[in-house]
Amino acid sequence: MSASENKSPTLNAKVLLTRLADEFNQVNKKIDFLIELNGKMLKTQEEFLQRITNKSYSSKDIKLEPDAMALLSLPSSLRKTVMALYKLERATAEELASETKRLRAVESASANQLVRLGYLKKKREGRRVYFYIE
Amino acid sequence: MNDSLLDKRMKGKVISVHSSRGGTGKTVIATNLAATYANKGLNIALLDLDFRAPSLTTVFSKGIRSPIKHWLNDFLDGRCTVEQALINVSEGYNLKGRLLIGLANPAIEAIRNIMEKSRAWEVTAVKKLFSLRSTLFNDMNIDCCIFDTSPGVQYSSINAVISSDISVIVTTLDALDLKGVKNMLAELYDAFEKRTVVLVNKVFPETRIWSSERQKDLISKMEKDLKHPIIGVIPCYCDVLQAKRTSLLAVDQPSHPFLRNLEEVAEKLEHAI
Repeated sequence: MSASENKSPTLNAKVLLTRLADEFNQVNKKIDFLIELNGKMLKTQEEFLQRITNKSYSSKDIKLEPDAMALLSLPSSLRKTVMALYKLERATAEELASETKRLRAVESASANQLVRLGYLKKKREGRRVYFYIE
Repeated sequence: MNDSLLDKRMKGKVISVHSSRGGTGKTVIATNLAATYANKGLNIALLDLDFRAPSLTTVFSKGIRSPIKHWLNDFLDGRCTVEQALINVSEGYNLKGRLLIGLANPAIEAIRNIMEKSRAWEVTAVKKLFSLRSTLFNDMNIDCCIFDTSPGVQYSSINAVISSDISVIVTTLDALDLKGVKNMLAELYDAFEKRTVVLVNKVFPETRIWSSERQKDLISKMEKDLKHPIIGVIPCYCDVLQAKRTSLLAVDQPSHPFLRNLEEVAEKLEHAI
């Protein structure tokens, strides 16, 4: 009989949960990396557009109103983030996740997508990034 | 009913009363529901968010004792605070708890003004409806807030629905009303993942639903069709339809069967919240 088979079911479950938590953390880090990469790609795209059109072009300039009718036309995953922000007024991805009961990485991706679309704004304060409806 | 339990359940909750079309009795339900809760000792704020067809100024004319200085329109426009836009009418109706009302301006100019608002203004309006919770529940000791909305799908009603905790959709058994409710549930309420209950009002005696068996059968069929709970079935009372709009049934005729039905609805709503 192997050593792991000798362990109690509670111990096995604990080991399994620890492994799962590690896996989730790895996935979170990868999603954060992809979001950062996406941001850099957008910046490059903006710079390129600026060069070829000789005009200032920035996704920060785009502003769309997340009013009730606009919310109805958004995908439900994005709508949920805006609804949470209406309630919280301004929030980090972590605070959004605690409100929507979704993963922080999911909220971060959703909020950043809404920023790119022009529905939300974001502001860095120290190490924290706050999302808000202007 | 244990009052402290009722207090706990309703504390800090916002209820919106909505309908797919006009004429379902939405305002009669909203005003009497507010008065019923206030009669149980709760402090209630009732806000008229039907800016296109305001009616609470007329309904509460007996309780409004001084000229109206501020309207809810002013609050949403940032010209006054929500405290300034609320009027205490409890004394006029001898209610056990406090009943504060916020009125929509019935002047044509104000209605026209609301219809011309920009999308940016609508965003601010939603923000204000969310933020008034803190003032009402923390600073003003209000237990529960009720929004009387405009019928159908328009900015003022959706803004009210998205900023409330639970919505009561008032409908009759009219096919157009029911079709409208079904559409709203699927395309509006489910989209916002809002807790929603349906109240069937003005049911004609000809439908003979008064035996409990028939009523259960109707509720079960409707719940299956609408996929949302039916919180009550209220008969059509000619005297309620013919009553002056200035008459608040919960105060003027507390033993009226309409009120008994509404009290049952109020209690079910406490559990649904």
